[in-house]
Amino acid sequence: MSTQKTLPEPIIRPEFINENIALAHTGDVAVKLSVFEKIWNINGVRKAFILLSLVAIWQAYTVLLDVEPLMFPTFLSALDRLVSDLVDGELLAKVWFSVKVLVIGYATGMAIAAILVLWGTSSRLGGDFISMATAMFNPLPSIAMLPLAMLWFGLGTASLVFVLVHAVLWAVALNTHSGFKNVSSTLRMIGENYGLKGVPFVVKILVPAALPAIMTGMKVGWAFAWRTLIGAELVFGASSGGGGLGWYIFESSQNIETEGVFAGLFMVILIGITVENLIFRNIELKTINRWGMQR
Amino acid sequence: MTQGAHTAAGNTPAAAAVDPLLDVDGVTLQYKTKEHLITATYRVGFKVYPADRFVLLGPSGCGKSTLLKGVAGYLKPVEGNMRLKGVDIKEPGPDRVMVFQEFDQLLPWKTVKENITFALMNGGRCKTQSEANDIAMEYIKKVKLDRFEDTYPHMLSGGMKQRVSIARGMAMEPDILLMDEPFAALDALTRLQMQEELLQLWEDTHFTVLFVTHSIEEALIVGSRILVLSPHPGQVKAELNAHHLTHASTGDPEFGELKTKIHNMLFADRILEDELAAAAAEAEG
Repeated sequence: MSTQKTLPEPIIRPEFINENIALAHTGDVAVKLSVFEKIWNINGVRKAFILLSLVAIWQAYTVLLDVEPLMFPTFLSALDRLVSDLVDGELLAKVWFSVKVLVIGYATGMAIAAILVLWGTSSRLGGDFISMATAMFNPLPSIAMLPLAMLWFGLGTASLVFVLVHAVLWAVALNTHSGFKNVSSTLRMIGENYGLKGVPFVVKILVPAALPAIMTGMKVGWAFAWRTLIGAELVFGASSGGGGLGWYIFESSQNIETEGVFAGLFMVILIGITVENLIFRNIELKTINRWGMQR
Repeated sequence: MTQGAHTAAGNTPAAAAVDPLLDVDGVTLQYKTKEHLITATYRVGFKVYPADRFVLLGPSGCGKSTLLKGVAGYLKPVEGNMRLKGVDIKEPGPDRVMVFQEFDQLLPWKTVKENITFALMNGGRCKTQSEANDIAMEYIKKVKLDRFEDTYPHMLSGGMKQRVSIARGMAMEPDILLMDEPFAALDALTRLQMQEELLQLWEDTHFTVLFVTHSIEEALIVGSRILVLSPHPGQVKAELNAHHLTHASTGDPEFGELKTKIHNMLFADRILEDELAAAAAEAEG
């Protein structure tokens, strides 16, 4: 037999009603941040800090340890080369050549992806084709298609565009298609309810609803394309006339101008960051961030 | 001809003079999951007349939501037919506007006002944007959301989102407004308030609404006529009047009696089912 335990009873207390609730005023709910905290909260400031630290380490390493400039030039000398080549227009011409090809390839890839995804949403066979084709071609590095492209299209812009399309197409198609599949049935039913069918349904409901996934696809596609282009130009940039940024890097290394190699790499990074932060980030801020689809 | 008896029961003498707005006759609905073909409703029949606040009430699994989706045109009956103003329902259309339970029924890329104008323009109710804007603002005011017309849905509370959805549905002035447990995801206090507001809106224009719920109390408060469905598959159990009951009458003995009556109807089934299940288990064991 267990020992008798007294259970706690609720204590009955007098009731009260607060009549003055409307008169109550709160103190400082918001406390101001210090100036340092405010500055540190800016994304760009923190990132610039990291960047400057890396540059400082590089400069210090090369100068203090007196590293052979042919192997690893100082940051400042590489920067100097970048500026001088930019000013005399040589580098700009190469950049322009690359960007032009890139835009053509990217736009073509996007257009084909759009057609493909449209087919994929309208028929089951199309959907099956997308998932199968992406499974096959997405793991295939675009640069591996270059020998074939050269065989088919010769040494020219056409070959570059071909590999770029391959780089963009599957990433965009895969992400867009899976984005469409994830659109909630409620939103679909709403669209149908207001009489939307076919292409208007895709454009007015599926595309905006799947925009986060589409943006991911576009960003991945962009990164693939940019890498592929530089790689392809390294291989045969010169023979296609002017040659692009990749060729500039290759040429510099052939001439044992290591500063030039670094200047070219800077440019590749710079353009990559610019597109990512200026173009994609701004599209995101104006769309999916504003709509609360992404933080 | 058991079917005839069902529909006949739905005909009140007073209503016989008017044509029903929505006529659901002997409807069997089935849908497929990955492994099963599920019969959601079996030979369900009812008639909705203009200005009805017609409630489909039943426990989960009675196919009430599926029935509403059928009326909306998302699902084709395998048997029987559904007519709106005498015309067979074939596909979704703006003459029957759905209000869902889910908060994501608002287009997140459109503001409160744009969500309504989007419906008005695409649903073919408005030809010009300015006309759509005027109507949208009128209905935004009706649901007391003026000042929020340029807000994106993700900034709104659950109750506010449902208000926008209702405003969007009403702005279309459909033949019938279809509401699929629109208040089920709201907290209890907001739900009470929304029921109250819906009734006030109804007082303005006496629109026709087909309302799905699993709450007996909500059915009694919101509905003017209640179709009680039994589960697995959904079949008509009863059709009852509740036009005289509102929030104000929740304390009345009549309210309590009707509530108990419906409760027993639904509960009796469950007891029977439990017994059957127990008997089946015994037979197997």
